[in-house]
Amino acid sequence: MATVSPPRHYRAYRPRPFTAAERKDVTILFGGLTWKHERLVQAALENQGYKALPLPNIERVDLDVGKELTDVGACCPTTFTTGSLARFLRDKAKEIGPEAVNRNYVYMTAGSCGPCRFGQYHESYTMALDGIGLKEFRLFLLDQTELDQGAAAGGGLEMNMAFSLGLVWGILCGDLITDLEYRTRPYEVVPGATDAAVKEAVERMYQAFRSRPNRGRKWGALAWTLFSRYYTNALKDVRRIFEKVEVDRLRVKPRVKITGEFWLQTHEGDGNYDIKRWLEREGAEVVPPPIAVWLDYLIGLALAELEEKAETDPKARKKVRIVKLLQKAYTWSYNRLRGALSGIPAELPDQKVLQELAQPYYHFRLNGGEGYMLVGKALYAHRNKHAHMICELSPYSCMPNTMSVGAMANVMGQHPDLLYSPIEIKGDAEVHALSRCQMVLTEAKKRAQREFDEAAARTGLTLEKARELESKRPGLRSAMAPFPHHGAAGTAANHLIELARRSR
Amino acid sequence: MLRTWFGRRPSAPSTPRPAKDRSKLRVGIPRVLNVWSTHRFWTAFLEALGVRPENIVYSSDTSEDQGREFGKGRGAVDCCYPVKCMSGHYGELVFGQRRKLDVILSPIIYTLPSFLHGHVQGSFSCTRVAAGPENIKSGFLKEADVFSGNGIRYASPFVSFAERALMPRQMVKGLGDVLDLDLEEATKAVDAGFDALDEFNARMRSKSREILESCAREDRPCLLVLARPYHMDPGIGHEIEVNVQASGFPILWMQYFPLDSDLLEWVFHDDLKSGVIRNCFDISDVWPSSYSANTNEILWGAKVAARLPWITCVLRLSSYECGMDQPTYTPVQKIVEGGDTLLFKFGDLDSTKPSGSVRIRVETIVHYVRKSSSDIIARKRARLPADCPLLPRR
Ligand code: SF4
Ligand code: SF4
Repeated sequence: MATVSPPRHYRAYRPRPFTAAERKDVTILFGGLTWKHERLVQAALENQGYKALPLPNIERVDLDVGKELTDVGACCPTTFTTGSLARFLRDKAKEIGPEAVNRNYVYMTAGSCGPCRFGQYHESYTMALDGIGLKEFRLFLLDQTELDQGAAAGGGLEMNMAFSLGLVWGILCGDLITDLEYRTRPYEVVPGATDAAVKEAVERMYQAFRSRPNRGRKWGALAWTLFSRYYTNALKDVRRIFEKVEVDRLRVKPRVKITGEFWLQTHEGDGNYDIKRWLEREGAEVVPPPIAVWLDYLIGLALAELEEKAETDPKARKKVRIVKLLQKAYTWSYNRLRGALSGIPAELPDQKVLQELAQPYYHFRLNGGEGYMLVGKALYAHRNKHAHMICELSPYSCMPNTMSVGAMANVMGQHPDLLYSPIEIKGDAEVHALSRCQMVLTEAKKRAQREFDEAAARTGLTLEKARELESKRPGLRSAMAPFPHHGAAGTAANHLIELARRSR
Repeated sequence: MLRTWFGRRPSAPSTPRPAKDRSKLRVGIPRVLNVWSTHRFWTAFLEALGVRPENIVYSSDTSEDQGREFGKGRGAVDCCYPVKCMSGHYGELVFGQRRKLDVILSPIIYTLPSFLHGHVQGSFSCTRVAAGPENIKSGFLKEADVFSGNGIRYASPFVSFAERALMPRQMVKGLGDVLDLDLEEATKAVDAGFDALDEFNARMRSKSREILESCAREDRPCLLVLARPYHMDPGIGHEIEVNVQASGFPILWMQYFPLDSDLLEWVFHDDLKSGVIRNCFDISDVWPSSYSANTNEILWGAKVAARLPWITCVLRLSSYECGMDQPTYTPVQKIVEGGDTLLFKFGDLDSTKPSGSVRIRVETIVHYVRKSSSDIIARKRARLPADCPLLPRR
């Protein structure tokens, strides 16, 4: 007869509650965006009475730390983000001791109903916590699709409308500054001027978010966020900051649109071989992917799902109307913020249009990763001449991304003139990835030059003549000079056509 | 059991005769991914529309030869083998039929008919399972439309098995043109499909129960396979469980574990009593993000295996580069081993059967199951209430 040993049944990690009383002492850690977005999110959290700190920017070493602490085979964003959190906590524990880390910090991250690992990041995080001896550390998942999730995590996090709107608007403003940044830097006359302007602009917005007035937790906050001039006024200061940056838009550069998996395309740093900066060094103008488009995509997905339900369920019809209204308010707000920056940052593409463009290749209801957007965005940029080339960042071992990249083979078959460079990001195979990108970039450069030469021939404007015209209108050498699209993909060609029109 | 997997049965006699004549229509279905857990639905659905059983053609089991002969050069990306091998299945249906097919039906399975649905946060299929058809079709369209070039219409309806009410309309959207389908017909055919699927699942579960009862009666071990449904494909799962079964141990698949409440309430007796779980299908104690149907089921199966005395060993099968299984490796291991149950993982299954290493590992498994089972059974049995529903009442 065997002895009766008590079972040691496994239980999943469950964080201790984070109570309201702890708020003033506990720092909320977060990460996964760019430093600009994170700074504004930090301000939005501080404004709500939280102590908040973004994790340090991702470094190459985080990949090794992540690999060491999680099950083999994780996708590279999971590995990097897990490694980054673990490294920070481990270093902190050395400094102040593990108990103090468990007591004084919590980690907050966006979850998702991810059929991919995005919805299962917590699993890697908890394994890592186990591995570094911080089992008691608390991490919490926010639902990225809910604006009002109420008190969560034991009351310490009050995820009401005011809280969520602060985060979302922080992200939108981060996008707008990033858009200006990438339009400006390749053309700056004084090296470093753009980076300095970005820094100043982010600090200006940080102050604005940090001291935004309290207008209640729900409807008051919503009405104020939508209709007050508070953020647009702050963005006008950003405009004034950028106005001072002198640019030479007649430099011919290929525009390279970044697409791909959410984390990888958003990231700026070692996690994606710092590819955006690398492209700029190689002579390109980068078109960065705004997080705003991702949020719009999530709304679009929810709407498509509801619209289908509404065919058989009358209750869903009401929800469809609400989501459509939300979508309109969202686009309207984004355009209003863009307006404060003279409308220069790019508009949000219509999600329905992206869905339709992608549909023959990739069903618009397939979620996970970027869904239809990978195909949709590439075709949208190609058809509307927004870029010469698409650089698509695919995470090593990503599930949904491999599927849409496969569908892109069909797109390429039908659109052989689309310059498309899918780059697999493993985190540790930089030379190979960048040299593949380099090959396509060479062709993109030729196209940009050809396009410019054609514009010059069409307008009869030589480079010298164009510079002469510019010198008579110094306002056109400001980073905030109008940015009209005259049917060319390249900035220089469009600018040349603009000069020609103005000189008539 | 697997030999008869895709066998066809005539339609239920109650199915009314469809008005449109589809008796000559030949429909091919790639035998891939979650078609393995929904094939009964597809067969009955088509039969209810008047497609003759002999005209419903499933591609063969996966094999390297199939891939070489029919799929070569058509794969667009490198990924897990269950998706990669689909090119061979598509190709076989296009090029490898003696009698030409009219339609290839490769469903985009968005959500699955999981027995855990309603108790978990979602029943999505893996993103690769859902998007696999879009990926693979691209290899047959990128240069020229191979389907229409061979007189075949390709149809890929988007279907949500977890929400039955949506399915008739989804069928009309996805197959309306190809099958000349209207909503009324689709509704009836979807019902017939689900009836067949439910009936088949119930039959398989009752067979599993019989096996468990005989193990309980004779106090002998059986093994539980935790895997994705398509690991039943000899070309994907490489029949590892068959090799173990050859040594005389019965094998159960988690997909067809009996769901009878007497059994489950006995197995989860302590957890229910202590309030750790709300009901027998609650997995929130071990897996908080329960969105993915097959993953949820694997976690649930691990819990059952950790508790049920006569399951003394778990075989965990995973395909190389499987992103869904990756985060579950450690939890599943901790669950199973936490219940004093043996666990053997085959984590990198790919196109080639690693015969040598499988043989050695099977020997090891058999050795340990023989050596440890009686102790494991006794230890686990002692933790459960005396009155076991698998045994005849005393
Ligand atoms: S989309 Fe891909 S890379 Fe991103 S979390 Fe999911 S599996 Fe990982
Ligand atoms: S569950 Fe794993 S093996 Fe199956 S399709 Fe998804 S990634 Fe591939």
